[in-house]
Amino acid sequence: MIEAIAFYTFAAVTLIGAFGVVTLRNTIYSALCLGLCLAGVAGIFANLGADFLFASQLLIYVGGIAILIVFAVMLLGRTSDLHLKQVNEQWAAAFLIGAVTWVGLWRAAKIFSHTPLPIPEAAKTTRAIGLLMMGDLAVPFEAISLVLLAALLGAVFFSRKENP
Amino acid sequence: MMPRSWPTEVWKDPWSLPRYRAGALWLGGILFGIVLISAVVGELCVWGEKLFAFLSHLGLSVVVVDWIWVLVKLGCVIGLIVANGLWAVWWERKISAHMQSRLGPMYAGGFHGWAQTILDTVKLLLKEDITPASADKVLHALAPVVAIAPCVIAFAPVLFGKELAAAKLDIGVLYIFAFAGISVIGIVMAGWASGNKYSLLGGLRAAAQIVSYELPRGFSVVPIIMFAGSLDLAVIDQAQAGYWFGFFPRWFIFYPVAGQLSFLFFLIASVAETNRTPFDIPEAESELVAGFHTEFSGMKWSLFFLTEYGYVMLASFLLAVFFFGGGAAPLPFLRFIPSWIWMMGKAMLMMFVFLWFRWTFPRLRVDQLMEFNWKFLLPWCFVNIAVAGLILAWGMR
Repeated sequence: MIEAIAFYTFAAVTLIGAFGVVTLRNTIYSALCLGLCLAGVAGIFANLGADFLFASQLLIYVGGIAILIVFAVMLLGRTSDLHLKQVNEQWAAAFLIGAVTWVGLWRAAKIFSHTPLPIPEAAKTTRAIGLLMMGDLAVPFEAISLVLLAALLGAVFFSRKENP
Repeated sequence: MMPRSWPTEVWKDPWSLPRYRAGALWLGGILFGIVLISAVVGELCVWGEKLFAFLSHLGLSVVVVDWIWVLVKLGCVIGLIVANGLWAVWWERKISAHMQSRLGPMYAGGFHGWAQTILDTVKLLLKEDITPASADKVLHALAPVVAIAPCVIAFAPVLFGKELAAAKLDIGVLYIFAFAGISVIGIVMAGWASGNKYSLLGGLRAAAQIVSYELPRGFSVVPIIMFAGSLDLAVIDQAQAGYWFGFFPRWFIFYPVAGQLSFLFFLIASVAETNRTPFDIPEAESELVAGFHTEFSGMKWSLFFLTEYGYVMLASFLLAVFFFGGGAAPLPFLRFIPSWIWMMGKAMLMMFVFLWFRWTFPRLRVDQLMEFNWKFLLPWCFVNIAVAGLILAWGMR
């Protein structure tokens, strides 16, 4: 029962946070809601027994990326500049695409929703993840880090060109 | 009854040697007393098991017992953070005073101003709570809460003695760093919501500084995690038990090169993470009035202070566990002293180092701070990890 309460609470936090990101007119509020949304996802990970993923999600997304986004938004300017309109004239098309995608996902998920997977015990996952990353998944892991490195270098390159 | 004389008359010649010796003795005595009290609390923790069994026997459902149990542990941790605030502020004032040839609080409570912070808290509670007209009301009220809540949560896996922690987590170290990194959102919110350019600058500086220093702070303990083979604080504590040659403690700080460098990097990064003086540019009073908490008063302001001292205590306990063997005794024949006394003593020693830093070093400039982090601290942390790998490869365990 506790698992169910926790799951619905975190799901509600995630959804409310995500809804706030796209609807609130104050950009700072949107950025903070993004942090809340990501924290809710971390809570769902914890609820499913993925402890390492939970801490990484908090460390990287809430403690790093959300703060960097808030940082960037705060550099934008004064309070009066921050009240932007959240939708432009193409909101209807975006809504339609979103609705179609959502219905598709709903139908796909419905097929499996009656066969509940056993929730694993809160096991020690850190060692297993470490062994996988250094063993079976070493090549994809290194490839992803290479892509990230390229993205980093690209970001530095473009920001330097503009402001030498 | 004698009328109480003003302390300046009592301490007309405070720097005479006997007086100074007596003062030092008293301060040492207070420290010892606090350690003793913590030891008694630690011994009482044995009763926790019995309390839990008693709750289970009452015929309550498992869920209710668990909830009560979590609330009890939460109360203990919050009580510890608040008591630490009272103690650390007084201690900091005394240390700063003695380093500057002053006396510090001397009047409140009678003996060495021991009641100063308690009375300060009463004053802070009675102060008017001001929200500036240009402030964002919601975020201004929310910011201190967002700052202190992760601090309380981060204390869950912290070891206060052998096997003495509110929660046993396999990912303890990662969990603490993850939650400690969230507090900065509260600081940024405070800076922005105050509607004041100095506060905003303070918030921006805090965000840049804390996000940057999180990296060396995390990477500096990687050698420790490699030596211990686990992220669990209890396992890290256990890995340092025992003695080389029968008398030399097997603490991680004594591991050649990697241990000492790791300690140094973690200490520096921790001071930066807690926004304390060589790295207190988010609240640099000569540049930014008081930075992100300029517009806060009363209890809201003191919540920020409580957070800062909470993180200082967290870092002290982490330093004690990572590098000084946690609850292990420094010499084999001292093992009869319980582990929580050693833990508390080591943590208090580390807290003294934090306070000592604050009143010794001048403040860095913003660009120096960033340069130091990215061009010196982080690369050498990676080198340190390589050194630790070499030590492990040569079988030096």
